[in-house]
Amino acid sequence: MSTMDIELIAVSKSYGANRVVDNIDLSIPAGEFVSILGPSGCGKTTTLNMIAGFSDPSGGDIRIRGRSQLGVPPEKRGIGLVFQNYALFPHMTVAENVAFGLKMKGVPRAETETEVQSALRRVHLQGFEQRYPKELSGGQQQRTALARAIAPKPSLLLLDEPLSNLDLKLREAMRIELKEIQEELGMTFIYVTHDQDEAMAMSDRIVVMHGGLVAQEGKPDDIYDNPQSRFVADFIGKSNLLPVSSLRAEGEATIVVLEDGLALTVASSESPGVIRYCCLRPEAVRLTPAGEALPSTVNRIDGTLTRIVNLGAYRECFVTLSSGTVLKSLVRSTRLPDLRVGQSVVLSIDPDTVQLLEG
Amino acid sequence: MTTIELQSPFEPKRHRGFTLRPYASLVPPSTVLLLFFALPMGMMIGLSFHGSDGQEWTIANYQRFFTDDLMMAGLGRTMLMSGLVAICVTVMAYPLAYYLARATSRWRMVVFALAIAPELAGVVLRTYGWLVILEDRGFVNSILLWAGLISEPLPLSRSMFGVVAGLTHVVLPFGVLSLMTSLQGINPNLEKAAQVLGASRPAVLRHIVLPLSVPGIVSSLLIAFTMAASAYATPALLGGAGFKVLATMVYEQVLFYIDWPFAAVMANVLLVAMLVAVFIGSRIEARLHNKLHL
Amino acid sequence: MNRFLSVTFRVSLGLILAFITLPLLVVLVASVSPTARIVFEPSLWTTKWYGALMSSRWIDPFLLSVELALIVTVLSGLFGLLAAFAVAYEKCPGHAAIMSFLLSPLSVPQIVKGVAIVLFLSSTGFYTLLGTPGLIMAHVILTLPFVVRMIAGAMFNVDKRLDLAARVLGANRLQRIRHILLPLIKPGLFSGMTFAFILSFNNIPLSVFLVRPGETTLPITVINHLEYSLDPVLAAVNVASLLFILAAVFLFERIGGFSTQIHGGSK
Repeated sequence: MSTMDIELIAVSKSYGANRVVDNIDLSIPAGEFVSILGPSGCGKTTTLNMIAGFSDPSGGDIRIRGRSQLGVPPEKRGIGLVFQNYALFPHMTVAENVAFGLKMKGVPRAETETEVQSALRRVHLQGFEQRYPKELSGGQQQRTALARAIAPKPSLLLLDEPLSNLDLKLREAMRIELKEIQEELGMTFIYVTHDQDEAMAMSDRIVVMHGGLVAQEGKPDDIYDNPQSRFVADFIGKSNLLPVSSLRAEGEATIVVLEDGLALTVASSESPGVIRYCCLRPEAVRLTPAGEALPSTVNRIDGTLTRIVNLGAYRECFVTLSSGTVLKSLVRSTRLPDLRVGQSVVLSIDPDTVQLLEG
Repeated sequence: MTTIELQSPFEPKRHRGFTLRPYASLVPPSTVLLLFFALPMGMMIGLSFHGSDGQEWTIANYQRFFTDDLMMAGLGRTMLMSGLVAICVTVMAYPLAYYLARATSRWRMVVFALAIAPELAGVVLRTYGWLVILEDRGFVNSILLWAGLISEPLPLSRSMFGVVAGLTHVVLPFGVLSLMTSLQGINPNLEKAAQVLGASRPAVLRHIVLPLSVPGIVSSLLIAFTMAASAYATPALLGGAGFKVLATMVYEQVLFYIDWPFAAVMANVLLVAMLVAVFIGSRIEARLHNKLHL
Repeated sequence: MNRFLSVTFRVSLGLILAFITLPLLVVLVASVSPTARIVFEPSLWTTKWYGALMSSRWIDPFLLSVELALIVTVLSGLFGLLAAFAVAYEKCPGHAAIMSFLLSPLSVPQIVKGVAIVLFLSSTGFYTLLGTPGLIMAHVILTLPFVVRMIAGAMFNVDKRLDLAARVLGANRLQRIRHILLPLIKPGLFSGMTFAFILSFNNIPLSVFLVRPGETTLPITVINHLEYSLDPVLAAVNVASLLFILAAVFLFERIGGFSTQIHGGSK
């Protein structure tokens, strides 16, 4: 008996000649909050549909708690699903909506009522039992949808971009609430989204999908600090992606020569493959006005500040080098309040923060 | 059925004072409508209040209509026939409409064409077909006799059965269109949500689809009823000589008895019945819409 | 989809579709059967009934029906355009009420409209208008509301920002109508006109009151014969009629390009 709550084994889905999901493997242990993150068209929704049972994989197997789900219809899978547009039954009250799953299981009336109450309490909607969906605000509808999904105590919960219809402040508040509920219940949540901030904020683990494949899988920090591919480096957070022309060893360190001629000292790379790109996070590119003392002399690059984008707490500074390359540097607004376009600046980069990517 | 909420995408003209210019293009169509519709309708309503022997302003013909046994039998028959057709059409249209509203396969176009195309064939072709099928020496009877299930042909045509079958066939495309539009308005995710919560297909139908499609069902019943009640050709041909409904009786009055005031009375009764039915129907629909909190 | 179509559902669908197609198939077979009884053996089939269609007994009413339908289609299209213009494009004051007026004939059963017109023409002394002119008027009244509704619908679907964009680029009203509005409503206009054509060609309830000996439409000729017998020639007439309509629809679609309006589906 597997300790994995859900496993996808070599799952693929094709529509005619179009391979929408291409041989993905996934194992998710019980109790984790996992996000499936990717741009539209990456196959995440198709994957969700297959887990829910709305479509069958063209190849591979899906197992929930060790049991294969091939051929099992959605109503028999015992999982929960929160839809993007909630899909609340308009002709039923909140209580009737939440009770629906229990009713389908044949749970007796008295027990149903207690479960409904408990679910509503968990989502902070006590007192809303007799309201109808059309009388509720977006956030309240979302919580009703959640209560409805968890009331029948499913083995895991699928969430399909449930917060995308809410405005920013509400979204941020709901992220915390969702995470709290997940931790209280100890239930596995599989959260599908294209919003990386959301995924980063809530997940124990992130699965990044691209073109029907899993591009990278791991803890949020791992993915951010160690992207394995150009796509992941570019998709998650901001980055400076620079094409590499060659590498050479110098003592314990490695020197990376970029296509534009720039040479950087980086910590040793252990990658067996051919390095094609190097990724620098803007916050790792330290900026100092010319003439001031530098934090370190390694990887010292001269340049001119050509644009400053005001991001509130931070300034995104575009620095043009003599080779023509533009690097982005993130600077705390309070640290250098007197930055001006046209200023000469010096960039320095810690060798440990340079990521080397194969492609 | 004929109310349209107007939300023109175009800005109303900035008023340089009230001008008659926009109304100019309305003149030809309105003249036609006034001359050949409004005026004749008005005259007909007025004519119904004439006596058959030339007096003006009497309800004698109305009284005559409502006390005449034959007329009342005809009215009753019309209502019964229309009711049966309404039920048959709606029951048959529902699965078809559900398929058309939800299916995405390429068969959908084929089914849609099949459901709608009979309209192109015209009433005559279809009625002829039904006569051939239901006649004493027709399709159905021939098979039943040959199989030994009956010893004498069943009188299927020239009867209520034949008329209902034929009218159902004629009205079905409209029922399908009406129900399809209504079912398309139901969010498909609701059915998926119910499934994930453990509802079997029959349970989804019972708890989600049927309740939410009640306004569409009412609409379909109404459309079928009104179309059947005002039908002429099918009852005339499939009902046989003795099968009188309002439309055929009106026809007789105008062309055989040439009793125009009486004919006007009957036409008015039909018209009012239709308007009342539509009115009641739309009220029920509106109330149901609210009750379902849509 | 396979999950969605349970057996019962598939079977019911099949039965219903069989119900729909049965009369059509029967008529088709009857039109090639040698006698009044229909036979299903292809070897016995004959086209002699189609040959009999060439007599003036059928050609004359057919031509009248076609002529009538064409005139009615053009008139409805024209009047419909003019009416929809004022109501949906100009949005003149009171357009909602005017629209209700324009659509009012839809609430009146065809039989009633027919009675009204025939009584009107007879009692006001316009006997001479019975027959073709009366038929034209009655059919226009029948089809006009449908056409108005379809064209107005098409006009409402035109993105108003296109008109504004054209204005900003310097187009005057006539230019905008000619270059922006009319091309965009062309499918709606033609589907309306097709509908009018079919409605007029196949019409019975209105036409029964207005035809005269020597001036009858094809459907009325057929039902007059149907009252006496199930002559297979009638089957041939019906099939030929249907083929004609299909050809007409096809032609209209070629010119008007409204096939996309027929497609649909949930979503």
